[in-house]
Amino acid sequence: MPRYVKLLMLMIIFPMLAPAQAFNSMLGDESILNAQTKQVNQFFRRFNGEENAKGDRYYPADKDYRSTELRRKYLNVLFDQQNASMTDPMRDSFTRDVLNSAAPQFLNFHQGQWFAEVTTRFLYQGKDENVTLYMKLEQEKLGYKWVISKVYFRHFHLMFNTNQESGSHFLHPLSHELDFMNLVRVFKEKEYVDLYTEKEYQPDFLTLFLYEFKKGNLKFKNVSNVKFHFFQIDGWYFELSEFNRPGGNSGWLISGLMEIDENQKDVLLKYIYHE
Amino acid sequence: MTKILGILAALMIFSAGNTWAQDDISPSRKQAIDSLALEKVRDLSKYISIVGNKDTPWSEANRVIERTLELFADGALMGVSSLSKEEVNYYGVREYLERLMALNYDKVNISWYNIQYISDLERQPDGRYVGVITIYQRFEGTTEEGLRYVDVTKKDVTVYVERKTTQISGRIIGFWDVLLGDIRVSETKPG
Repeated sequence: MPRYVKLLMLMIIFPMLAPAQAFNSMLGDESILNAQTKQVNQFFRRFNGEENAKGDRYYPADKDYRSTELRRKYLNVLFDQQNASMTDPMRDSFTRDVLNSAAPQFLNFHQGQWFAEVTTRFLYQGKDENVTLYMKLEQEKLGYKWVISKVYFRHFHLMFNTNQESGSHFLHPLSHELDFMNLVRVFKEKEYVDLYTEKEYQPDFLTLFLYEFKKGNLKFKNVSNVKFHFFQIDGWYFELSEFNRPGGNSGWLISGLMEIDENQKDVLLKYIYHE
Repeated sequence: MTKILGILAALMIFSAGNTWAQDDISPSRKQAIDSLALEKVRDLSKYISIVGNKDTPWSEANRVIERTLELFADGALMGVSSLSKEEVNYYGVREYLERLMALNYDKVNISWYNIQYISDLERQPDGRYVGVITIYQRFEGTTEEGLRYVDVTKKDVTVYVERKTTQISGRIIGFWDVLLGDIRVSETKPG
């Protein structure tokens, strides 16, 4: 058997013997890069206590898998330390709830109750405009994919009248006797046309967005920011953002934290969605 | 030779770990796949260093570009952002490498931090698995006038893992194959 095949077999059989030092390290202290939470995946694993300090994954059979001590250590470094609105007592309370020995809580990639807010740049009417896409994971067959669930575009919101009072803008109840000839008045003024819709009517901005895109009126340029909203921890909401800055407290970190009940959750969701 | 080694490694992954359902990935198999994926990322980093090096002859750099393209799935893109601009520029892999080759420096030194992070593998609707490997590159370019430009970029490399079959001596053998996909390149401030 050729030598390189033997060597390769050894590498496969004993992956730990494979030369992990692939990249020439002549670059000094790499501990800062090591400390950074480099991927959202790493945020999940650190939050759950599912990897060691080098980033190697722990599995259920491993001694330290999801250990409380490991999680406590990681949770301390998963907050944006420069955000004064997340006070020490608030963080401690969150950590206590998450690590509660009777019912510890973990993040689950597939469980829902978390979504992405993606700020994108589109060309619209000759100008660069921000379009916010809200994205969630959806199962299809045995796998998963990210899908667009909602969209926020300033121009769409400005276009639709949120005033619920119709004032003098209504079709009187005997309009049918005149074959609705008074519709001519409805479509005379663009500004008030939404006042003639039923009260449950809500504009579907995602459909509008797709329509404008398909018509060629919106042209994609790039993604300018990504953050995530988590509602998986009972009684809490937190926001996850990426911090590209010097030092170990960087990468994907908790950038906002709130203690909330179910009612507040709906209010917060409406706020996030600009509804 | 690299290609032969790749196929052999992929075939051997077939035999690593045996108690999981055919399409599941056990921890030991995941480790083996990680090694193979990391091997491809190492090849990529090596090729980038060669293509970027001003001492590499033009014909050799072009040959290495062809080798690099073999590591990727069709249509893979590089999305490049910098600290100074909000924009992200998207390039095909060939275009990215050709731009690297044409950079206007007298001397270029590309080195790699000894840090790599390998994500979990997630299954897509088409049955393939996808993961991301993060690596860090230091670029140093010096002009003829002695002006020096240095940046550190984080490269998040998509890795596709697919179960394939091949026939050896009349027997159908299943194996896991790895291809690289889109790469997000972002300038960092490691400090």
